[in-house]
Amino acid sequence: MNTTQQAERFTIPIGPQHPALKEPGHFALTVDGEIVTSASVRLGYVHRGIEKAVEERTWVQNLYLLERVCGICSHIHATAYCLGVEQLAGVTAPPRAQAIREVVAELERIHSHMLWFGVAAHEAGFDTLFMYSWRDRETVMNLLEGLTGNRVNYSANVLGGVKFDIDSAQADAILSGLDFLEKRTHHYLDVVSTDLVFLRRTRGIGVMTRQQAEVLGAVGPTARASGVERDIRVEAPYAGYSEYPVSIVMDTTGDLEARFEVRIKELFESYRVIRRILRDTLPPGDLTTRVPRRIKENETVIRVEAPRGELFYFMKSNGTDMPERIRVRTPTICNMTSVIRLTVGHQLADVPMILVGIDPCFSCNDRTAVIQDSCGNRQHWTWEKLRQYGIEFYR
Amino acid sequence: MKIGAMLGDVTSSLFHSPATEKYPFERRCAPERLRGLLQWNPENCIGCGLCAKDCPANAIEMIVLDKESKRFVLHYHADRCTFCAQCVHSCRHGCLEMSSSLWELAALNKEPFGLYYGDENDVEAVLAGCADPDTGTPDQG
Amino acid sequence: MNTVLSLTAILFFPSGLFLLASGLLFEWADRKLVARFQNRVGPRWFQPLADVVKLLAKEEIVPDGVHAGLFTGLPIVALASVLTAALYAPLVGLPPSYSFPGDLIVTVYLLSLPTLCVGLAGANTIDRFSLIGATRALTQLFSYEAPFLLALLGPAIVTGSWQIDEVMRAANGRWLLLTQPFGFVVAVIGLMGKLELPPFDAPEAETEVVAGALTEYSGRGLALFHLAKDVCLVVGLTLIAAFYLGGVPNPLVYFGKTLVLLLGIAGLQSLFARLRIDQTVSLWWRYGTLLVLAQWFVMIAWKVLVS
Repeated sequence: MNTTQQAERFTIPIGPQHPALKEPGHFALTVDGEIVTSASVRLGYVHRGIEKAVEERTWVQNLYLLERVCGICSHIHATAYCLGVEQLAGVTAPPRAQAIREVVAELERIHSHMLWFGVAAHEAGFDTLFMYSWRDRETVMNLLEGLTGNRVNYSANVLGGVKFDIDSAQADAILSGLDFLEKRTHHYLDVVSTDLVFLRRTRGIGVMTRQQAEVLGAVGPTARASGVERDIRVEAPYAGYSEYPVSIVMDTTGDLEARFEVRIKELFESYRVIRRILRDTLPPGDLTTRVPRRIKENETVIRVEAPRGELFYFMKSNGTDMPERIRVRTPTICNMTSVIRLTVGHQLADVPMILVGIDPCFSCNDRTAVIQDSCGNRQHWTWEKLRQYGIEFYR
Repeated sequence: MKIGAMLGDVTSSLFHSPATEKYPFERRCAPERLRGLLQWNPENCIGCGLCAKDCPANAIEMIVLDKESKRFVLHYHADRCTFCAQCVHSCRHGCLEMSSSLWELAALNKEPFGLYYGDENDVEAVLAGCADPDTGTPDQG
Repeated sequence: MNTVLSLTAILFFPSGLFLLASGLLFEWADRKLVARFQNRVGPRWFQPLADVVKLLAKEEIVPDGVHAGLFTGLPIVALASVLTAALYAPLVGLPPSYSFPGDLIVTVYLLSLPTLCVGLAGANTIDRFSLIGATRALTQLFSYEAPFLLALLGPAIVTGSWQIDEVMRAANGRWLLLTQPFGFVVAVIGLMGKLELPPFDAPEAETEVVAGALTEYSGRGLALFHLAKDVCLVVGLTLIAAFYLGGVPNPLVYFGKTLVLLLGIAGLQSLFARLRIDQTVSLWWRYGTLLVLAQWFVMIAWKVLVS
């Protein structure tokens, strides 16, 4: 290496294949020694063409396709879709179904936050906390398996309601599982807020002020940790959250420690609301209501609160049994710019921690992007052109 | 401020057995509602084909041998199935259910995944290609 | 006859193959204990051996832009240096195979050679992860090496000799852990830093720089580096047990004391998150060095007052 090369700054690629990332994404960090001087991101490695695929399947079939946009927030995608279709058709699911949807959504939030907690501990090099939190996550996965029939991808929803009921045996199992989880969550909150070495990795790292959060468009627990008071379950209640509301969990510090604490405290809120639903008996009634096969022409917008933030669906029907257009905007894409902005000035060792602090879900956020050059011309590729490009790239 | 906040967990683990489930030597009982392999009870089937129509993965093909005498054969592609149980919900006569005991489905080739449900003679006829495969839905696979 | 004995000592027992085998055994014990602390099952006894055999059977890919001689030679130098350092340590409770005045300094120097080799190996490539890992490894070397050496020299000062054999015999039965607690703590934590065990594994932080300086290594080179690290673990544990835990007069006591020490090290490994490299350096240069220097003052003052 000659001296000019040594004087140049390095570009460290994190991804697309990297042990820090559970899914592919490319972060190009320019470092000077150990300090990051600039960062850029490139996504799209897990684009699966879901928005195109939904146009060729019926409304019933699309439920399961959209459920698999993400593995950890699958139920909330399915719930958003069902709520959307029910709004398009002009029906409402019965209250018992809405309450059961809320129970499964909160159980999924518990599952997602515990998974995130383990992964975040692993990124900090704290493998012991990773192993213990994932051991305790098994409890909630077993509860979900007993309730819905699968550990992930619960398939709890159908158009117009839910597939199954919660009887007293199930409710007892869930309540005793939640007691165990609550004890452990208190312990983890203690660890996160008092362990000296862990605090040195999280306190004061990745600070995002409230103004920055609002300008960058951060959503979810990432924004709530910076003092932005936004939670769709409180602002625009859906699916049972009007009868069984949750309170917003917030922090004002805006650093990594705040994000840890906000997510762990949200777990307590989830436990409280599930207990409330199961102890007051669920509203009696049917589990489903009839949704027509052909949905009349209509368009609607759905916003729900995924474990990662605000999830937004735009749906348009055209009178047939297949959708015209479904647009999914997941929360991770909103939080991604904050990662790029916040890593500048931090050490290289802090970058995986900052990235995991937004709870990234790369599979969720790969949608098509419209590229517009400075003259306003849009580049359109047809299906054949895309195929040809793929063939020639690998030649 | 503590140094080693996980000390309690770490020391107590020395005196307990590991939390690992030593599969396949120890198998937990599967819960009742587990969505395993699809099972078909042809008694009440009327051949409406809603299960095949609603399947998101086109895993069910309904082969109609004789609609009046209710002779149907269900060709189930277990490798395409996503185990979502929409077919169970769509069937209005309760002919379908997901098994809670058949969930260890790994195989070395594709053969065990093409399942034919129905009366033995009917299935043989279908496999021999003698029956007229008037399928309930066009095969989009 | 003498030559045959010497060759046996170097190649088979207690150094050589036996040392490699006990290195694998200690690595297994460490991984199993860490797993049990984390409420997991852990690997079976032959796992480290299986890892080494698998690595030796894989193809060695020499990346572009490296100096091929350095690339293949550095792992060999690393392993050779720790095997040489082991000749002066009381392995398996037997007296060291070779001994001369001042061999403590030579042993500690030889034990730090693997880290230098890792640093050179990382700097040898054009891969950015390896460069950052090498920089971190060498930074860590500069931070813990001085306190670690001073901590091992503590018992030597008390004995009045810098020969491992004599220090060990003088410490026999006397648990210097009680009279020099700071030195013991710094020596144990220094050993963790030398071996890049968590929380000091910033040079090979999996989630930041894929594998640090050894990212480009596979096959035989990686196997030799791993074996060097295992042998370093054995020799380090032997020295600390011999100096601070009252000597190792026979094999039973040797294995007992080193395994208890390993239990403590595995516990420390599982308790903490990873420290950033700047936090490691400040920890060592602030607390490590100060503690051991305070210990030295007390020792020297005691010696002056008593004699």
